[in-house]
Amino acid sequence: MTAIAQTESLQPGEPWRRRLVRGLLYGSKIDRGAKARARVGLAILAFAAVYSIIAARLVMFAVVSDGRTVHRVVAGDAIATARPDILDRRGEVLATDVRVPSLYGEPRRLIDVDEAVELLTADLPDLDATELRERLSSKRGFVWLKRDITAEQQREIYRQGLPGIGFLSENKRAYPNGAEVSHLIGHVNTDNQGIAGMEKWLDGHGLAALHMAGLATDRLQTPVQLAVDLRVQHALRDELVAARAKFKALAAAGIVLDVRTGEVVAMVSEPDYDPNNPRQALDPTRINRLTTGVYEMGSSFKAFTIAMALDSGKVTLKSSFDARMPLRFGKFDIHDFHAQHRVLTVPEIFTYSSNIGAARAALAVGIEAHKAFLKKLGQLDRLRTELPESAEPIVPKRWGELNTITIAFGHGLSVAPLQAVMGVAALMNGGILIPPTFLKRTEAEASALGKRVIKPETSEMMRYLMRLNVEKGTAEKAEVKGYYIGGKTGTADKVVNGHYSKTKVLTDFMAVLPADQPRYVLLIMIDDPQTTPETHGFTTSGWNAVPVGGAVVARIAPLLGIEPRMDLPTADHLILASAKESR
Amino acid sequence: MSLRILNLVVIVALVLAAAYVYRIKFDSTVQAERLAKIRSELRYERDSIAALRAEWGELDNPARIEALAKRYLPLKSVAPTQFNSLDQLPDRPPQFIKPDSQDPIGVIIENLEEPSTVTGSVSAPAAAPSEDANEAAVPLPAANPDR
Repeated sequence: MTAIAQTESLQPGEPWRRRLVRGLLYGSKIDRGAKARARVGLAILAFAAVYSIIAARLVMFAVVSDGRTVHRVVAGDAIATARPDILDRRGEVLATDVRVPSLYGEPRRLIDVDEAVELLTADLPDLDATELRERLSSKRGFVWLKRDITAEQQREIYRQGLPGIGFLSENKRAYPNGAEVSHLIGHVNTDNQGIAGMEKWLDGHGLAALHMAGLATDRLQTPVQLAVDLRVQHALRDELVAARAKFKALAAAGIVLDVRTGEVVAMVSEPDYDPNNPRQALDPTRINRLTTGVYEMGSSFKAFTIAMALDSGKVTLKSSFDARMPLRFGKFDIHDFHAQHRVLTVPEIFTYSSNIGAARAALAVGIEAHKAFLKKLGQLDRLRTELPESAEPIVPKRWGELNTITIAFGHGLSVAPLQAVMGVAALMNGGILIPPTFLKRTEAEASALGKRVIKPETSEMMRYLMRLNVEKGTAEKAEVKGYYIGGKTGTADKVVNGHYSKTKVLTDFMAVLPADQPRYVLLIMIDDPQTTPETHGFTTSGWNAVPVGGAVVARIAPLLGIEPRMDLPTADHLILASAKESR
Repeated sequence: MSLRILNLVVIVALVLAAAYVYRIKFDSTVQAERLAKIRSELRYERDSIAALRAEWGELDNPARIEALAKRYLPLKSVAPTQFNSLDQLPDRPPQFIKPDSQDPIGVIIENLEEPSTVTGSVSAPAAAPSEDANEAAVPLPAANPDR
């Protein structure tokens, strides 16, 4: 540092020319050595700063990068995206994804189209040669040749070593149980997107968004558990298939509903389809009649009428109504099918299924109250469940006295059968209306959703009537010793060309199981049953839907864990007596 | 001088750091490759499990089981009358032998040979079999004098 104070004269041996250059460049009085040292120091500082920044960044990367793993998409991986498995209530697989190879071509990389067409059609005989040639001759970068080929076919094609032909493994939905749960879980399209049933519901609940984001490629999603019990579903379907064949019916359908939780334990609508072959689903005869169809339920609607009459307090079990004459309204006469031509008490109206009695009971309560009661029970509004398919009930636009009379015995109001089952379940379970669900639900969740529609005492009386109807009424053939079934039959004349048909009917049977401590409600519905030698020319519910209901109960009750109890007293002792005690 | 020492220290540190970084980088590459391999194995195993589960579901399908059972088994559906609760089980059959008898097996054989053997389904007065057992138990030691 002392050098700075010195002058240029300190370098005496320097030639004059160099001294001139130095003077011109730096000024004559500056020491170069000192200046160079200062520059080196500056450079050291700059490099130190740069390196410390790099070091700091490295530390930051090391700390942060753990949380964000880079998602590498493996070549040849899933195009169609993954879906969660669907299980039944006991964990049996109803739907799952399996990997299948699919064949694609890259026409630009293809050398000899003719050779490729020849070899591929040899391995895949169902491939159309002209269409294949057309696709491979196009100028596109990528064409699908065949989705879903077998492992052997893949091996064979691979061995031919064609350039520009490759495989991608795709997720394909497999339904191991075939047609058994078809309407319930629905099906998917070629791109693995749900287009019906619970599969569609899955897409509507976040899965579609995951697909869009490209995240749902791996099998990491938690399975969805449904309320359905595969064993019960099978037993119900088996009986319905047999019944449909026996009675040569257009269709047969059934529901088993848990009255305490609203879970649909089984739901079958025959004819159904195999979700592995979704083309069948397009056939209009294979629709799900229980949610997409609306029907006049016939006499089983009398359960609603009688429940309303009893709940209003204006009618008791001891009340009686005049059924001596057909009920005349304008030009219409209301007849009884099992006409007694006398004054009937309320239990008799129920067990003889008297149209006149039910109509009079409804009129005693009033038109507005009738409408309000059915509204309260959810029979006048579209029932929405997880299933995307639902139908609006057909309600008369102007609800007059005649409408109340006919609706009292189940004509003039068309509802979805599932909706009617929901209403009957509310009459049975102590008076709580619980919206049905296809997903698993606990009793606590159900009671949070439920709302009271009738008094518990009314529910008790309704269970008595249902049981009485099996002991001595139209549903006698449903009796299975030990299960204490209660039930109400219904036979509705079908509308053909705008008129009620004399020969074509829709029969149904609403059963409660067991009637004293209800746990399940069962619906059996048969569309257009024919007579058989055993039915003695009858097509009413008591001869077809009711015995089928009994057979179903005998099969499903052990599966549902209902213990048979022998030697139970009759309904008036068991249910009615306990009802009086509790009051 | 001090600058020279600093230079030396920095060069040594640089070489060491380079070597260390190289090792870490190499290790991490190896680990990443292992991870990718395990991931793909995992994916393969998951897919196989799903395929097997689907196949099991098909084999375990109630319709198939029912068809097989109908074909090969003489079993029928359970009737409600065939159920019973545990508290309705009959009592244990009466004791044949006294706990202090010397040759219990012999007594049982003796009882078996008698035509009026009491079984669980035939109710007999509780006292009778125990008397029989006493009588049977007495002659046995005589029949076996070596003991």
